[in-house]
Amino acid sequence: MTDPEKYARADEDILKAMEKPGRAYLLGLGVTASLAVGGGLLWAYQIRNGLGVAGYTHPVNWAVYITNFVFWVGIAHSGTLISAVLYLFHARYRTSFNRPAEAMTVFALMVAGLFPLIHLGRSWVFYYLIPYPTERQLWVNFRSPLIWDVFAVGTYFTVSAVFFYVGMIPDLAIARRRREGIRKTIYAVLSLGWRGTGRQWRHYNMLYLFLASFATPLVASVHSVVSWDFAMSLLPGWHTTIFAPYFVAGAIFSGTAMVITLVVPMRKTFNLYRYITDDHFESIAKILLLTSLIVSYAYVIEFGLAWYSGNIFETELFRYRALGHYKVFFWIMVACNSIIPLTLFAMRLRRNIPYLLIVSLLVNVGMWLERFVIIVSSLSRDYDPYAWNALIYRPTYVEVGITLGAFGMFFMLYLLFVKTLPLLSISEIKEHL
Amino acid sequence: MKALLEKKGSLAVLLVIAAALLAFVAMSPLAGRGGSLLLALLFWGTVVEGCIAAAAAGTMVNARWVGSVKRELLSVRPLLLLLAFLLLLLIPFVDSYPWAGGPGLWLRKDFFIGRNLAFLLLAYVTAGRFAAAVEANGETKTVRAATYLFVFVTSQTLAAFDLVMSLEYPWYSTLFGGFFFIEALYAGFAVSAILCILVHGRPPRTDDPDARSSLSDISVLMFGFSLLWAGLFFAQYLTIWYGNIPEEVSFIAKRTSVSPFRELAVSVLFLLFFLPFPALLSTRAKSNPYVVTAVSLSILSGILVERYVFLAPAVRLNPGALAVDLICLLFLFVCVVYKESGGTPLDA
Repeated sequence: MTDPEKYARADEDILKAMEKPGRAYLLGLGVTASLAVGGGLLWAYQIRNGLGVAGYTHPVNWAVYITNFVFWVGIAHSGTLISAVLYLFHARYRTSFNRPAEAMTVFALMVAGLFPLIHLGRSWVFYYLIPYPTERQLWVNFRSPLIWDVFAVGTYFTVSAVFFYVGMIPDLAIARRRREGIRKTIYAVLSLGWRGTGRQWRHYNMLYLFLASFATPLVASVHSVVSWDFAMSLLPGWHTTIFAPYFVAGAIFSGTAMVITLVVPMRKTFNLYRYITDDHFESIAKILLLTSLIVSYAYVIEFGLAWYSGNIFETELFRYRALGHYKVFFWIMVACNSIIPLTLFAMRLRRNIPYLLIVSLLVNVGMWLERFVIIVSSLSRDYDPYAWNALIYRPTYVEVGITLGAFGMFFMLYLLFVKTLPLLSISEIKEHL
Repeated sequence: MKALLEKKGSLAVLLVIAAALLAFVAMSPLAGRGGSLLLALLFWGTVVEGCIAAAAAGTMVNARWVGSVKRELLSVRPLLLLLAFLLLLLIPFVDSYPWAGGPGLWLRKDFFIGRNLAFLLLAYVTAGRFAAAVEANGETKTVRAATYLFVFVTSQTLAAFDLVMSLEYPWYSTLFGGFFFIEALYAGFAVSAILCILVHGRPPRTDDPDARSSLSDISVLMFGFSLLWAGLFFAQYLTIWYGNIPEEVSFIAKRTSVSPFRELAVSVLFLLFFLPFPALLSTRAKSNPYVVTAVSLSILSGILVERYVFLAPAVRLNPGALAVDLICLLFLFVCVVYKESGGTPLDA
C-alpha cells in the first residue's frame, strides 16, 4: 500500500466513527444522559431543601461532594499530562491516547467545576469566590487555598481547552474535506482556514510545543494546589508535606486508569486496532504501574511517620483509617490502588486488554475511595474527641445520586465527543504509518 | 595512571587505603561527634546511588542518552561498599542522636545501623547484578534495573528519615524521603552530563552528533528535574510555613534565621533552581558543554551545601576532617570512573 493510500485509509477509518450512530451508542447515550438529568434534579432538590439533605454531621462537613471534586480534578489532570509529557518525550504511543485524554481533561474539569457549587449549598453566591472590586471594598481571602483553587483550576481549564482545540485543528480540516452540508461548514469554521502549508505547520508545531511545555508544570502545580486545600489545615492526616506530590501522582494514576477505561471500548466499537495496538496499551499500563507504586509509597510513608512521630492525634487517625468506621473503604482502596496493580509487573497481564480494563476500573473505584477516606476519616477524627463517635457520617441518596449524575454527565459528554470530533489525532498517526 | 588502575586488585587496594584513612580521621579527635563523616556519607551516598539510579532509569525507558555514559555510571558501584564501611564508623556517634538511650522500636541503635547498612549492601548487590545484565545485554537488565530502583528509593528514604531527620526528633516531614531520592536522581543526571562531556571529548566534537544529542537529552532531564526539585522544595516548606506549628517551623527557623545557615539556605535555592533553570532554558545552552558543566557543578555543590545546612545546626562539623573525607571520596570516585572510561559504549 502506498503512502497516500495509507493516509486515505487512516482518514476513513478514524472519521468513520463520526458517522450515524448505532443502537448501542444511542442506548449508552440515553443511559448516561438519564443519569446526568437525575443528578441535576437531585441538585435542584438540594437547592430547594438546603444542604440538610446531604449527610453532613458535625464535624464532617466536607464529604462526598469534595471527594467528587478532587476525584474529577485528578482525572482531568492526567489527560493533559499524558498528552503533553508524552509529546515532550517523543513517545510514539502517545498518538493512541492523546485525543481521548485531552477530551477527558476538558469534560472532567467541567464536571469537577460543578462540585464546589453543589457543595456551597447556596450555589447562586458562587461569585463570592471571584476577586472583584466591590462597593464595600470586600476582597476574597487570598491566603485561602480555596481561592488558589479558583485561579489554578480556571487557568488549567483554559490551557487544557486551548491545548485540546489547537491539537485538533489539522484534523478538523480533514473532517471539513470529507464532510458535506452543515457539518462541512461547522468544521470549516472550526479549522480556522487550515490548509496544511509548510508555514502553517511550522507555526503550529511551535505553538503546540509551547502549550505542551506550559501545560506540564501547570498540571503539577494545579493538583498541588488542590492538595493544599487539605494540607494547609492543621487536621491530622491532612497537614502533611507529602500531599502535593502524592496528589499529583494519584491524579496521573486515576487519569491513566480512566484513559484506559475510555479507550478500550472505543477501540473495539470503532475497530481502531490498526492505530491503537496492544503495544500501546502495554506502554500505558507501565505508567499505571509506576504511579501505583508512587501512591503506595505515599501510603506507607504516611502511616510510618504517623507512628514514628508519636503524635497521639496522628497515630489515632491512621489507626482509625485502617480499623475505624470506614475501614472497608480503606482496605478496598489499598487492594485496588496498591495490590491489584502489582500484577501488571507481569508482561502477559499488561498485554491482556480485558484484564487491563478490569484493573483500570478497579483503580477508578480505588482512587475515588482514597479521596473519600482521606477527607472523611480525617474530619471524623479531628481535635474534638467528644465528637468522634457521636455522629457517624453516611452519604445520603442525594449525594450518591449526584455522584452518579456526575459520572453520567462525564460519559455523556465523552460519547458526544466521539461522534462529533475526530477521536484520534489523524495527522500524528499519519506520521507513524 | 590508567594502566596502574587496570592492574588486578589495584582498585581493591585503593579502597582499603581510603577506608583506613577515613577510619583514622573518624577516630581522631578532629572528627568531633561524627558530623563530618555523616555529611560525607550522605553526599557521596546521594551521588553514587544517584549515578546508578540514573543509568537504571535510562535503561528502563530505553533512553538513547544513557548508552553513552552507562559504563561510567555503573563503574561507581564499588564505592557503595566503602559507604557501608563509613556507616559502621558512625556507630560510636549514634549516641549523639537526640533519641539515643530512649526506648523505641524504630529508633534503636542496632536496628538503626542495621537497616541502613542492609540497604547499602543491598544497593551494592543489586547494582552489581544490574551491571552484569547490562554487560551481557541480556533481557533481564530491565528487571534488574527496576530491582535496583526499588532498593535505591528505600535506601535514600531511610538515609533521609534516619540519618538526617531523626537528628531533630520529633520533627518530621513526610516528603523528606521523596525529596532525597529525587535529589539523588538529579545528582545522577548532573554527573551523567559531566561524564558525557568528558567521555566524548572536551571541548566536544561538534561533528559528533551522537555526543551532542546525548548531552542535550541529559540537559533536558536536568532542566525538568530543576523544576521538579523546586516544586518539591516549595511543597515541603510552604506546608510547614503555612501550618506555623512551633515544633514544625523550628526546623526551618534554625536554618533561616541564623548566619551563616541563612545565607547558605538561600544559596541552595540558587544553586539547585535559580541557576539551572534559566541557564538551561534555551535549546542552544542545553548542548553547550561549558554551560552544562557549570550547571552540573552547581547542582552537585547545591546538594552538598543543602546537606550541610541540614546537618550543621544539629551536629558539630570539623572543616579539616570534612575536607579529608570529601576529597578522599572524590579521588576514589574519579579513579573508578577513569578506570572504566573510554570502553565501548553500552547500548541503552
